[in-house]
Amino acid sequence: MKKISILTLIASLFLSTLAVANEVNVFNARHYKADGELYSKFTNMTGIKVNLINGKSGALEKRIIEEGADASADLYITADAGRCGAMDAKGHLQGGLTSDAIKAAVPKSFRTSKWVGIAKRARIIYYSPERVTGAELSGMTYEGLADPKWKGRLVIRKSSNIYNKSLVASLIENNGKKATAEWAKGVVANMARDSKGNDRAQIMAVAAGEADIAVANTYYLALMLSGKKGAEQQEAAKKVKAFFPNQNDRGTHMNVSCAALVKGAPNKANAVKLVEFLLTPQSQEHFTNNTFEFPMIDGVSPSPLVVNNLGLDFKQDMKTKLASYGKNQAAALETMTAAGWK
Amino acid sequence: MKFNSWYISSFLISFIVLIPIITVFFSFFESTSNYYEILKNTFLIEYIFNSSILLVSVLFITFILGTGAAYLVSFYEFPGSNFFKWALILSFAVPPYIYAYSLTAFFENYGTAFTILKTLFGDANYNKSIPKFDGMFGAILSISFSLYAYVYILARASFLYQPQNLIDLGKNLGFSKFRSLYKIILPAARPAIVAGLSLVAMETLAEFGAVDFFSINTLTTGIYNSWIYFDDLAFANRISFFLLLFIFSMFILENLSRRKAKYHFNTREGFKQKEKIKLFGGNSFLAFIFCSFLLFISFLFPLSQMFYWTIKFPENLFDLDVITLFLNTLYLVALSSLVLIIFSLISNYGNRVSSNRSLNILSTLSISGYAIPGVILAIAFITFIAWFDNNIIKTLGFDSIKKIFIGSVLGLVLVYFVRFYSLAFNGIKSGYEKINISVDESAYLLGYSKKKTFMNIHIPFLRNSLLFIIILISLEIIRELPITLILRPFNFETFATTAYISASEDLLEAAAVPSLFLILIASFFIMITSKYVLRETHE
Repeated sequence: MKKISILTLIASLFLSTLAVANEVNVFNARHYKADGELYSKFTNMTGIKVNLINGKSGALEKRIIEEGADASADLYITADAGRCGAMDAKGHLQGGLTSDAIKAAVPKSFRTSKWVGIAKRARIIYYSPERVTGAELSGMTYEGLADPKWKGRLVIRKSSNIYNKSLVASLIENNGKKATAEWAKGVVANMARDSKGNDRAQIMAVAAGEADIAVANTYYLALMLSGKKGAEQQEAAKKVKAFFPNQNDRGTHMNVSCAALVKGAPNKANAVKLVEFLLTPQSQEHFTNNTFEFPMIDGVSPSPLVVNNLGLDFKQDMKTKLASYGKNQAAALETMTAAGWK
Repeated sequence: MKFNSWYISSFLISFIVLIPIITVFFSFFESTSNYYEILKNTFLIEYIFNSSILLVSVLFITFILGTGAAYLVSFYEFPGSNFFKWALILSFAVPPYIYAYSLTAFFENYGTAFTILKTLFGDANYNKSIPKFDGMFGAILSISFSLYAYVYILARASFLYQPQNLIDLGKNLGFSKFRSLYKIILPAARPAIVAGLSLVAMETLAEFGAVDFFSINTLTTGIYNSWIYFDDLAFANRISFFLLLFIFSMFILENLSRRKAKYHFNTREGFKQKEKIKLFGGNSFLAFIFCSFLLFISFLFPLSQMFYWTIKFPENLFDLDVITLFLNTLYLVALSSLVLIIFSLISNYGNRVSSNRSLNILSTLSISGYAIPGVILAIAFITFIAWFDNNIIKTLGFDSIKKIFIGSVLGLVLVYFVRFYSLAFNGIKSGYEKINISVDESAYLLGYSKKKTFMNIHIPFLRNSLLFIIILISLEIIRELPITLILRPFNFETFATTAYISASEDLLEAAAVPSLFLILIASFFIMITSKYVLRETHE
């Protein structure tokens, strides 16, 4: 019996150390089916095998941290700039994403030498055209969400959500902590219900008449309109319109999915190649058509569903550094919690 | 010979199980960051409050459902009572997180309920009249309907063994049915019910998937967040203290009621097959409705929601590599059951032949892995391996061992081992308790060696408990989420991880296919159990 157990142990050792030389290891906290298809394309083109571990960002980060110099991860891909920034601040990333291809593709405020944005999303306002007038929305800003005229009319998800933390972090960066604390109180006072559900649930609450405005990311409406969520949600999505806030000042709050180069990466060169591949027009089109995100590079247009229903020409906030999302994350949560934001 | 090889090996096993548990505590004494200084008390109160609400509500619901159903099928005969007897266990096949997906899918705005109403009554905005089961309420329902089977199984087993004369006593005293239940049957079954409830309590406190899905902050998610996201070990330590307080009170409660069990049930001779009371008319109908409703809500509802989605979005079915997922799940189940069974046999046998006090204490401690939430155990394991590698292996000049343990099937099986060791150990222990020690002594007299006694006498005796344990472990591993999620190797998915990952990106429809397969496979295991094992052990 002991022999059997020793054999099984050896067998499992084998599984984990059986290394294929030409590979790249990705710790992936962004779980879109479309990403998997892209990785297969990359393998077909270059012969480099993409090894994936999908998981929650926190657990993946913990594994990277504990593996330290013996890293098994080459790239860490996650759907919020704040998380890439936090890993950088802890010293677990390395420079190297500096090839000409990357520099040429990605605007400066969306990359560092250690992590690079690979697709953009905006956090915007959705409204019911039946119950919200153009005059009410005119010149609307994130700051305006605290205006008493929205009392009992607003839905937004919980304060623990990373997209909300990044949005509030950017407000702290622009307006200071004190003003943002007041703002958070106003937002809580305007809520139509206690925060619950995901971004799509907020949009559907507006469609269902539970609220008049909602805050959610851009790609959710497109996802519903695409019919991938069924005919009912497609119908529901048509009852809601998108509005891009802060068009008269700094622009609409942008976030990215980012790819970060892990310190001690065993296949650094391959990792850089994968990032370059993700930034090619072909990959960017794949993103925009499947995940409905905005492209990171110029020359690729968002999905027709996004263009026709959300509008293409809007001013993006290129001023607020994405690195501040990570920096102000703790302050953001503190501000929201203190205001009673569930 | 006190320190024989049995002793040493069972000592080692207990020790290995204890390592990650010790790591959890020691890592919390390290230096720590200071995020959210002001809010910590607010958070702590929220965690304790949420965990308490969750615990009390789940215990209440599982008690009512579990004992209620067990009472009906054990004492009465009504249409379908023989079918419900085993069918009600099927709810075990639906883990709380899949139940949570189903609840959301059905009741959300423009969800399945909306579609049904629209199809039946035409276009209208039904959303406002559809109740919403989300947040805390959703979490309570998801956990309760998935876990009440613990109480049901144990209560039923206890009811089956209740001596007829005890029930006759009630009749002779002129008690009504309800008074008999309240005054005689329930108190006599109390130890079993408490044991079931304490299992429910541990699972509820350790629950991650459903609670995370509904974004409820409990003690367990609190520890995870402050440890993982904020590197705040001191705060994680404070939270764990409260979690342990909860867990230890459950332990004590359960042990106390077990002790009582001994003097309640020491008269096996008095056992005679109970005659079931045949129900008629309204009562029979009510009993049937109660059991059907329970079976529908806890099992058929999530099963059909997942089935409906699979049909509505068939592309998800073709996208999924079902065979690989099945083989991966099976591989983990087979390997872990094998390792768990082998080592708990050795450990139990070691305890039996050496009857050493310190070893007994050690093995009692080592079964506490079941009380530690999987998500925390997995992180502790990574922390320990990293520490061991950096401080010991590298100092001795060897190559790093991290890759052997972190992100490998070996590491995964090791942590499953720690988590489910108590299931295997206790299961075999209770099997062993039925083999009188005099059997061993006779074997030795006949010239059997210890090894031969073990192989030729104990194993055949234990066969039935072994089968039952294997099925229990398999069910746990098929449903297990956080450990698999955190520790699995590259490109290695199971039904549980695939379902979770789709759900976490708001692709609940895509989560339906793996969830459906998970439910079906788990149901298959349950049916085998009730057909071959439960029947023989309980009836």
